Amino acid sequence: MAVSRVTLQTPAGVCGLFRRQLLQPSLSHPTILSTRSIYGEYKRPGQPPDKRWPWEKIRFDFSKGVEGIQKHFGLLKDEFVGRLRGPEGRPLLDHMLEQTLVQWEFRGPESLDQWVVSSDKEIGGQSEAYLKLGKNNTTCMLYGTLCSVPPRDGETRYSGYCTLRSKQTLLSFDRKRHFDWSTFNTLYIRFRGDGRPWMINISAEMYFSHNKNDIYSYFLYTRGGPYWQEVKIPFSKFFLSSRGRIQDDQHCLWLDKVNNIGFTLGDKADGPFQLEIDFIALCIDRAHTEEFAYEKFKRNPEVP
Amino acid sequence: MKITRFLMRTQHAGWITLFVKTPIKPSCFHAALLRPPIPRICIGQEARWIHCGSTVYKDKPDNSDLSKLFENETKAKSLVTHDDLFERTAKDAKNKASFNRVVDVFNKQDIRRRGHVEFIYAALQKMPEFGVERDLAVYNKLLDVFPKEVFVPRNFIQRMFNHYPRQQECAVQVLEQMENYGIVPNVETKVLLVQIFGEKGHPVRKYQRLMYWLPKFKHINPFPVPFELTQDPIDLARFSLTRIANDLDAKITVYQYPSTDVTETGEEVTQPHIVGIQGPEQISLLAKHNPNRPVFVEGPFPLWLRKTCVQYYLLRADLVPPEERVQDEPDPELVGPNQCLFYPWQIDLDLSRDMGDDFSYDVEDVEEGPVYAMCMAGQGDQATLARWICGLQETNPILGRIPTVFRLESGSRELQTAADVQHDSGQNSQSGSEQEHIIEEEQLHSQRMKQ
Repeated sequence: MAVSRVTLQTPAGVCGLFRRQLLQPSLSHPTILSTRSIYGEYKRPGQPPDKRWPWEKIRFDFSKGVEGIQKHFGLLKDEFVGRLRGPEGRPLLDHMLEQTLVQWEFRGPESLDQWVVSSDKEIGGQSEAYLKLGKNNTTCMLYGTLCSVPPRDGETRYSGYCTLRSKQTLLSFDRKRHFDWSTFNTLYIRFRGDGRPWMINISAEMYFSHNKNDIYSYFLYTRGGPYWQEVKIPFSKFFLSSRGRIQDDQHCLWLDKVNNIGFTLGDKADGPFQLEIDFIALCIDRAHTEEFAYEKFKRNPEVP
Repeated sequence: MKITRFLMRTQHAGWITLFVKTPIKPSCFHAALLRPPIPRICIGQEARWIHCGSTVYKDKPDNSDLSKLFENETKAKSLVTHDDLFERTAKDAKNKASFNRVVDVFNKQDIRRRGHVEFIYAALQKMPEFGVERDLAVYNKLLDVFPKEVFVPRNFIQRMFNHYPRQQECAVQVLEQMENYGIVPNVETKVLLVQIFGEKGHPVRKYQRLMYWLPKFKHINPFPVPFELTQDPIDLARFSLTRIANDLDAKITVYQYPSTDVTETGEEVTQPHIVGIQGPEQISLLAKHNPNRPVFVEGPFPLWLRKTCVQYYLLRADLVPPEERVQDEPDPELVGPNQCLFYPWQIDLDLSRDMGDDFSYDVEDVEEGPVYAMCMAGQGDQATLARWICGLQETNPILGRIPTVFRLESGSRELQTAADVQHDSGQNSQSGSEQEHIIEEEQLHSQRMKQ
């Protein structure tokens, strides 16, 4: 939104007001009134607000510049060279003929860098969640404790959740990299839980900024026990929700620009939990012809 | 009919004020008389008296004016929260009957249902204490507290502007608590909501959403757990062991029933229950186990069934390193020149499959040692588990020759026990016969993992 710039360019009165306020000694935060500067970028609840001036947020550093150039141009070169081999850097025959694709596997400590763990500690709750590599560095283990006592801030009513979400993959120059899963139609996960019901959230790249919190979710029921569990969830079963509320206007998940996958637990049972994931893959189930599992017609018709 | 008498009285007493305020023709009165006795404002301000409680009506003389009426209404009030009502009524027992009684008391005390929003919020808070949070009839009774037809919007402007927002929000909160507990509302809820808020308000929309999504997701759990779990530990153990065994052929054996004996010295000796499960595949695997390698009794591992966490123990072995693995000789009938060519076990032809037919996943398998048996016991100490091993020996005689190591967790930081289970770290090994044992001291794992 360009409102902040507009306020600076409006007649001298407003600018003068702004300048007068600058002369006052103890000001620690910007006072330009606009929605973007009031609410800013998403502020993780529980963290102090970022009250620096905009120019204080830039860091001028020669070594950082050199590192940046090396890294990003290196990535750019890899992309160009990769295009010669095939789409997305993989051989063309692979891309055309593959029936399964392993997207995330945990075979080494660097694979944990692709994931972010969060719990309701951010809003003031008392759950804990940690991520580590399993035995033999071959699986990942998400473990911790849930506590559904809501934080006493007067507005939160429910609490007690934890999430494991994959980080946004980046191309050169910090551009977002989207996964193209359009050839597949089923998600395949091999995991071992402890009987708790989890929820899988997939977030895709949307066109409008209004839809930036749109998440497609479905449930993951664990059996518990010492045996590994394999589950296949077709993408037609994922329902649309935004900021935690199921939407009335449902549509299917579009697989051509997928950003993240996440697992979340919030089953109101206080106590320890653990989930061990072996790998997350995609496959095609040719027998599954369903396009979408939920009705798309208008659910709240207007007054006739 | 009280209402008709009231109308007549207003006619006599406030005749002049009536005429001044609104030009009402006598026909309107007749219409009002003929209508059913629903409190409706049809004669300006004074008709508010129709909504009065019956007690007030009885005490007041005919020609009291409005201010005195209100004074007397507010005189005896002090700041009493609705929670108090619940506390007072439930001194003896907190159950559905007393909850219903509290709601009835509130309903009877004022026909206008003054403060019903706060009362409903307080009742929603108190529901878990009274144990009625899963009862649909109680929710319907709570929705019945709203006065009917007062909050129904009557024209498009009222419909646009969120008519009676506080009451709508309160009803949405009632439905949201129903959604939290997974209770599907029924047609009585819909009728109540339509009577109270009309068809296009937020509560009815929320009801429609509940009726769309809840039935879709109610039964999608492939491993369902009933709401009321059995309290009997043996049945609970049976249920959870069949769940985790993942094998329909697995058999459950109860090695020991819980009992309390009183010895001669007067001490109480409690025997915990031991329930074990083992499938035919596991029996055959254990029979092939190399007696030189130990088997481990590991535990306790948590298993969650809705809100209860139970603990189970495993009997398993470590992974055999590849050089010591014994390859099974395939049956010569299946392989070799005499095999059946229609269903071949192994073909020596060089048939390569395209990647278009390859449905395997490009990951190395996670190799883990085999699991031979599982059990759930009342106490997690070594003596009980040793008793389990002895019981297992009856079906697996090889266990007598295999050294058993106890790797028991003792109070790790994450695993908080739900039941009172004692742990101690495994020190000694236990064997059923005279063979030499390998005594291993297992260090405590700081975070327990299922391996």
